[in-house]
Amino acid sequence: MMADEAGRAGHGSGSRTGAVSLEFRGVTKRYGHSAQARGAVNDLSLEVPAGAICVLVGPSGCGKTTSLKMVNRLIEPTAGQILLDGVNVLTEDVTELRRRIGYVIQHVGLFPHLTVGRNVAVVPALVGWSKERQLARADELLSLVGLDPAGYRSRYPFQLSGGERQRVGVARALAADPPLMLMDEPFAAVDPIVRERLQDEFLRLQRDLAKTILFVTHDIDEAIKMGDLIAVMEEGGRLAQFGPPDEILAHPASDFVARFVGADRGLKRLSLVTIADLELAPIAASAPPGLPTFSPSTKLRDALSVLLAADSRGGVALDEEGQPCGFVTVDAIASALAEDRQPAATRSGGVTRQGATGVGAAAGDDS
Amino acid sequence: MDLIGATAAWLSDPAHWQGANGIPSRLFEHVALSGGSLALATLVALPLGLWIGHTGRISWLVVTSANAWRALPSFAVIGLLVPFTTVLDANLGFTLYPTLVAMVVLAGPPILVNAYQGVADVDTDLVEAARAMGMKERQILLGVEMPIALPVLATGIRSAAVQVIATATLGSAFGFGGLGRFIVLGDANKDNGELFGGVVLVAALALTTLGLFLLLERRLVSAGLARRTAG
Amino acid sequence: MSGEPLIRWDWLFAHLGPIAERVGQHLYLAAIAVSVGFAISFALAALSIRRRKLYPFVTVLATAAYTIPSFAMFAALVAITGLSVFTAEIPLVLYTIVLFVPNIVAGFDSVPWDVLDAADGMGYTPGQRWWRVELPLAVPLVVAGLRLASVSTIGLVTVSAILGDSFGGLGYYILDGYKRHFTTEILVGGLLSIGLAVIADLGFVLLQRLLTPWAARRTVGG
Ligand SMILES: Nc1ncnc2c1ncn2[C@@H]1O[C@H](COP(=O)(O)OP(=O)(O)O)[C@@H](O)[C@H]1O
Ligand SMILES: [Mg+2]
Repeated sequence: MMADEAGRAGHGSGSRTGAVSLEFRGVTKRYGHSAQARGAVNDLSLEVPAGAICVLVGPSGCGKTTSLKMVNRLIEPTAGQILLDGVNVLTEDVTELRRRIGYVIQHVGLFPHLTVGRNVAVVPALVGWSKERQLARADELLSLVGLDPAGYRSRYPFQLSGGERQRVGVARALAADPPLMLMDEPFAAVDPIVRERLQDEFLRLQRDLAKTILFVTHDIDEAIKMGDLIAVMEEGGRLAQFGPPDEILAHPASDFVARFVGADRGLKRLSLVTIADLELAPIAASAPPGLPTFSPSTKLRDALSVLLAADSRGGVALDEEGQPCGFVTVDAIASALAEDRQPAATRSGGVTRQGATGVGAAAGDDS
Repeated sequence: MDLIGATAAWLSDPAHWQGANGIPSRLFEHVALSGGSLALATLVALPLGLWIGHTGRISWLVVTSANAWRALPSFAVIGLLVPFTTVLDANLGFTLYPTLVAMVVLAGPPILVNAYQGVADVDTDLVEAARAMGMKERQILLGVEMPIALPVLATGIRSAAVQVIATATLGSAFGFGGLGRFIVLGDANKDNGELFGGVVLVAALALTTLGLFLLLERRLVSAGLARRTAG
Repeated sequence: MSGEPLIRWDWLFAHLGPIAERVGQHLYLAAIAVSVGFAISFALAALSIRRRKLYPFVTVLATAAYTIPSFAMFAALVAITGLSVFTAEIPLVLYTIVLFVPNIVAGFDSVPWDVLDAADGMGYTPGQRWWRVELPLAVPLVVAGLRLASVSTIGLVTVSAILGDSFGGLGYYILDGYKRHFTTEILVGGLLSIGLAVIADLGFVLLQRLLTPWAARRTVGG
């Protein structure tokens, strides 16, 4: 089975290994043996469709890491089931299971005594690929994450910057082309500019790879940016709300979620929508010259900011060729918030409403 | 009288370089018995220390008793072994055995403690990353923890080697052969050339051993760790 | 010789006085070595901290000195200096320096920069900063060095017995018992010298905890 994986992985990183679906079903984890021990994770249920990025977000200590580690069985659940494509992870051979799951952590965990190339090839080496194949695969992955293999493969981890280390960490996790990736605050240790670049690159990569990804962060902005689905967790390991980003922002299920996403959640919603998504008014012939212009991919949040800064009621939307194609007004941007979009369907394709049930249960549990 | 001249004369006398009591055979005795003791101690202490470091089991025992082991004076340990080897056989205590046992017993603790500490200090994130990639416990210990702990681990074996050579020298006061014999005989015969010649040989052996171990460590420790150990 | 018991208690009780004297000599030789060694080491460490380039040089020399077996070192000094208290003390002091200097340097190195900056920022004079901040924070490692050096010196004093009957502290009994095939003496010398080392070790642990209640003690050798 592993050899099969590996075989396909060899055909190129772009190949889709068939992502798996991931489901938590009533998962609970209590540390320690006493029955009264406060649960780190409490009756967590959620479903992530194959190929989607699901972000677990919540304050520090709310059980995100614990939830993540139960998937690759670094931690065993006290109760409940975790299913990959419907198969309970507890029934699988733990080593086989882990080799099929990529794992990226905040401090990367690169082995200091191995070169970058050998770090990336750890799993291929474990499953017995030939030396040449390991090397080829390492080079391929380094290029994939934007590191020139010739310049990087023989370096040691201490010779890398924080951002480069994270890229190598991602490359290593991708080595066996795992259908599922677990990422625990992978970009938290780098500065904001590098973080943003890593996020963008990772999203671009994911468009080709279409892995199923469980992504942990404590940063709501990162969650909104990265997630097709967001699971907001609160103290005590309870699921406070589960749904697509826009839904979480538009309809926080509880005071806790509303406070956690922040008073600026309206503005945050605007960053989920681009000019291209907006219904544009025709350009009036009387429009004065020198208005701000926007490309189709401009986020509404940024467009609003530009309009406010320019003290202008409107701007010109450009099409892909840079030709004016419509008129953007502050009012039109504001009214975009009023719409109740259904990005669940558009963004990740057919997410069940399981999330909503989860929310209800969690909210009712809040005694 | 001329100490350096006497020493040089003694060392360069061809008569001292042959026979069962000559320098080569004493050197061989010293090196072979030291090497054997070190190997035996390593064989027992290294796996045990690695295992305790990896599993964390009975680590309290290592942590609390490490200093007690260091408090053991080798002179007293050899001495104390004499009566007990004598119990087995009246003459055994007055041969090389007490020293040999002391060499093994005293070499074990530094190896065990450093192996334990080196492995226990490996970043838990690394161990977890290894586990998450599907490494088995043995692979984690041998492929990740041991290479990373190597500088600390090697320091333990190196101090044990230095210790064993010193104990063997000390053993010459208790019927053990080796290069220390020359010191004992030189003292007894009031022959400063022989005494100092013995000192020079012993010091040269100890420093050579130290140098060889340092060289070996530099060869074995990954370049990726070099910076860590230096700073 | 055979049929002789391991310990002849009558001998032991008949020699309590001389044994006590040997214990006294043992502690006397060790105390001189540790205090002189400590003073020299503090000076060397201070120098090494000021002049960083000196430090590797000091370490290499110290490691090399420590590598030379004590037996050879004592014997060499007899040949050079003849017999006096210096013959015993010079090697003992030398070995303590090897243990002290790295610990003292590490102790002062372990004081974090931000703590020093904070002290300066609050208006400590350099003297005040040294007494009230640097020294207290360096104490755990300095005392750890003291502990190591005392224990090691107590062990090494026994080796000085090879210099002659007027040296060696309890080591005298070990060697004398060996020469006379008299196990009682060996046991008395061996067990008491180990006992002294263990007591010194525990004493310093206690001192360490009293002086530095804030220090963590997780790892070996603390
Ligand atoms: N190994 C452990 N033993 C006991 N308690 C733990 C352990 N790991 C985590 N916890 C506790 O479980 C809770 C959740 O921890 P974690 O999953 O790491 O939170 P997060 O990743 O959201 O910050 C915390 O209260 C934490 O103290
Ligand atoms: Mg966490």
